[in-house]
Amino acid sequence: MNRYLLRARKYGVAAGVSLRNRLAYAGNFASSMATYALFIFVFSRIWTAVFAASGPAIAGYDRVMCIWYFIVAEVPMFGFGHFFHTLAQDMKSGQVAYLLGRPYSFVGYHYADGMGAALLEAGILLAEGILLGGLLAGALPLRSLVQLLAVLFSLLLAGSLQFLLQFAIAMTAFWFEENTAFFWIFQKIALVVGTLLPIEFLPEAAQRIVRWTPFPSLAYAPARLAVAFGPASGGLLLEQAAWVVAAAAVCRLVFGVGRTKIASQGG
Amino acid sequence: METRKRAFARGLRSYVRFLATSFSVNLQAVIEYRANFAVQFFGMMLNNAAFALFWGALIARTGGIGGYGFPDIMFIWALVSTSFGLAHIVAGNIRNLGLIIQRGELDVYLLQPKNVYLNVLCSRTVVSAWGDFAYGFIVLALLPGFGAERLALFALLSLSGAVIFAATFAAAESLSFFMGNSAGITAAVREFLLSFSLYPETIFDKGMRWVFYTLLPSGFIAFVPLAVYKSLDWRLVPLLGLAALAYLGASYALFKLGLRRYESGNQMGTRI
Amino acid sequence: MTAIRVEGLSKTFRTKTKAEGFGASLRGLVRPRWRSVDAVRGVDFEVEEGEVVAFLGPNGAGKSTTIKMLTGILVPTSGRAEVLGIESASRRARDRVRLARSIGAVFGQKSQLWFHLPPSDSFRLLGAVYEIEPAPLARRKAELVERFGIADYMDVPVRKLSLGERIRCEIAASLLHEPRVLFLDEPTIGLDVVVKREIRGLLEEAAKRDHVTIFLTSHDIGDIEKVCKRAIIIHHGAVIVDESMKELKHRALAKKFIGVKYTAPANLDLPGLKPLKRTEDAARFEIDTRVHRIEDVLRRLVERGEILDLTVEDESLENIIAEIFTSRSEEDARAASRARPTSALGPGTDSGGGSSDEPGGAP
Repeated sequence: MNRYLLRARKYGVAAGVSLRNRLAYAGNFASSMATYALFIFVFSRIWTAVFAASGPAIAGYDRVMCIWYFIVAEVPMFGFGHFFHTLAQDMKSGQVAYLLGRPYSFVGYHYADGMGAALLEAGILLAEGILLGGLLAGALPLRSLVQLLAVLFSLLLAGSLQFLLQFAIAMTAFWFEENTAFFWIFQKIALVVGTLLPIEFLPEAAQRIVRWTPFPSLAYAPARLAVAFGPASGGLLLEQAAWVVAAAAVCRLVFGVGRTKIASQGG
Repeated sequence: METRKRAFARGLRSYVRFLATSFSVNLQAVIEYRANFAVQFFGMMLNNAAFALFWGALIARTGGIGGYGFPDIMFIWALVSTSFGLAHIVAGNIRNLGLIIQRGELDVYLLQPKNVYLNVLCSRTVVSAWGDFAYGFIVLALLPGFGAERLALFALLSLSGAVIFAATFAAAESLSFFMGNSAGITAAVREFLLSFSLYPETIFDKGMRWVFYTLLPSGFIAFVPLAVYKSLDWRLVPLLGLAALAYLGASYALFKLGLRRYESGNQMGTRI
Repeated sequence: MTAIRVEGLSKTFRTKTKAEGFGASLRGLVRPRWRSVDAVRGVDFEVEEGEVVAFLGPNGAGKSTTIKMLTGILVPTSGRAEVLGIESASRRARDRVRLARSIGAVFGQKSQLWFHLPPSDSFRLLGAVYEIEPAPLARRKAELVERFGIADYMDVPVRKLSLGERIRCEIAASLLHEPRVLFLDEPTIGLDVVVKREIRGLLEEAAKRDHVTIFLTSHDIGDIEKVCKRAIIIHHGAVIVDESMKELKHRALAKKFIGVKYTAPANLDLPGLKPLKRTEDAARFEIDTRVHRIEDVLRRLVERGEILDLTVEDESLENIIAEIFTSRSEEDARAASRARPTSALGPGTDSGGGSSDEPGGAP
């Protein structure tokens, strides 16, 4: 095998190991699946009540769109939303120092490790969501294979962006002892901006500000693609990809700076 | 020979003293964990603020959900928060009861001359619960129509809510007596009860709503109190109190049933 | 008054066996398999107030189960346990409360103190639990703190205390409400030699000063020897031995160990005696006094040379008990305990009234 394949292989193995470990804790799936189902159910009732009173459409969405939006938007939140805790743990425990010596990209390794298991969970939840959506809101809003692929790709990008941003926040541990609060702030903003509500529902001023942030790429993008696939969709995907690249660069930068800090202080 | 009335009064006084001591002792421990408490409080405020923004934005678009306006939603959050907090302040072990049962740590309480149910539940207080407790009052002060009467009403409503929360959680945890690892179910009950209490009742079908007055008493914790609060209908307060006592009784009965099983030593995984 | 009375006490645990594998688990739901464990089988004994009793047995013998039944934590399958005239397994709340007020318990493995609080807070709480009035509580607390030497730790959270410090606080706490009977389950487990000695001293003092009946289980023979006046040995769920420490030790008198060291190498071949250890100038012999008279052995040893040092020891209590413990069945155990018929005090005396035989109750 040539050099690049070899290098890629170690990440693949890492992902595989993490996947298998995740499977071992099958019980844990039950818990997030139950919570996911609960939320979908409750929000389907909310949207039903909303549209029953307000008429057929609000901000360009109808009842079915809103329910499906929620189903897709919650997948990144549930499936890719909890990297921070293990990352922060690794940082705090000083694991970092050990791992620095290993012959692979620090960020890359953690990405493979985190995403391996997360993809499985996200996949399961998505399947569950589709089933529930069918029961609660009727037919899937997917109209073509291209759309399906776009949504899946968008989810992958969203997950990656979640990872990278959480990673960057976790790395503030180099400077701040207690950085959980930063993660919470990030998590809550992500919740309000695009997960619980489509961005179009936010006040105009907020919408304008938010479009300059990475938040729409975290949940709004895949959800929007799922319910309103059209000419604007390509732009959303590009936007996501751009943010992923930017975030990766930030991670590398922060890591580089932090690494020298460790080297000089001994962790 | 002590008369029955005297004995009862003495017994009651001793329980009150016991609960008061437990409370004050645990409170001092709370003060020790100040820093941790501050972080938790901040996290709770953040979470609640996020949902407040969500409801605010949605209601701005729609003018209300199922007959609930923004102040109504905020009231429910306030009441549930204070009730939940109060439950965990007084009966801090409701979250750990399942583990205590599984680990055989009930033995210690069985040796003491106090009611096991009360003793085990009240011998701990949860630090962060004080944040939840305070939050409700803070929000309440910002809602329209706030005044002395509404404050008193709120206090009573949160009291009955706290009892119902504690009773329901304790009952869910008591399932550990009967099934080996009930952690999944009890977590689900806690999650579901809390969640359903925070959303308008009217969005759910009539067919479902009976659940909120039986298995998951969101009706007694949030919905009925909201109606009471808005209309200042004090007549319903004693009824809520009765409902709270009913839940407490049922929870206690379930616990006692489980305790018999525990004392026979035939649970799965008992350490002989 | 009889502090503890146990009649035909039995406990059989029936648990569902959990099988390995998914298929077996499914089958287990429909038709569960039960497993019976006879932990305690017809135990009888009586303990008078003021006695200090050791309750011994190897792991799995039924000690903890018995103590749990005595303290009311576990319900017996059959038989009866009474403490201070109150039935331990009584369902009546009043009985349970009366019992709880008059007994104290220290479980070495489980703590009665609130883990995240300092002992002083636990004492306060226990004062409330046991309804001790503030003034007597303060007095009693001061007395116990002084006796147990725990003044320095009273304000340290229990989770930060060392095991020895914690146990001292536990025992002190268990005496707070002046119980008439104190149950201790492995109180010295995991403690170092010095601390163990302290604890034993404290227990002895408690027995004397507080007139409390002590019922102690332990693996440590030292605990037993120094603190207790009577030993009840349980094995395979039944009582094998129930006699005073004096009698128990007398069993050893049939076996003696003689160690001898000479100033110069000597001929240590003694006919009929095989040494356990042997060097040029020293040896250690095990003597069965039923076969050899000590006087004969000593005379022969003196004849062999100039003696530098001579020791004559009893069989250790530990070994006696170990032999009883390691017997694989109840019958073996009874046989082992019966194996030492006469004492070296001379023919015709028996080893103290009522010696080794099983108390009451057929096996």
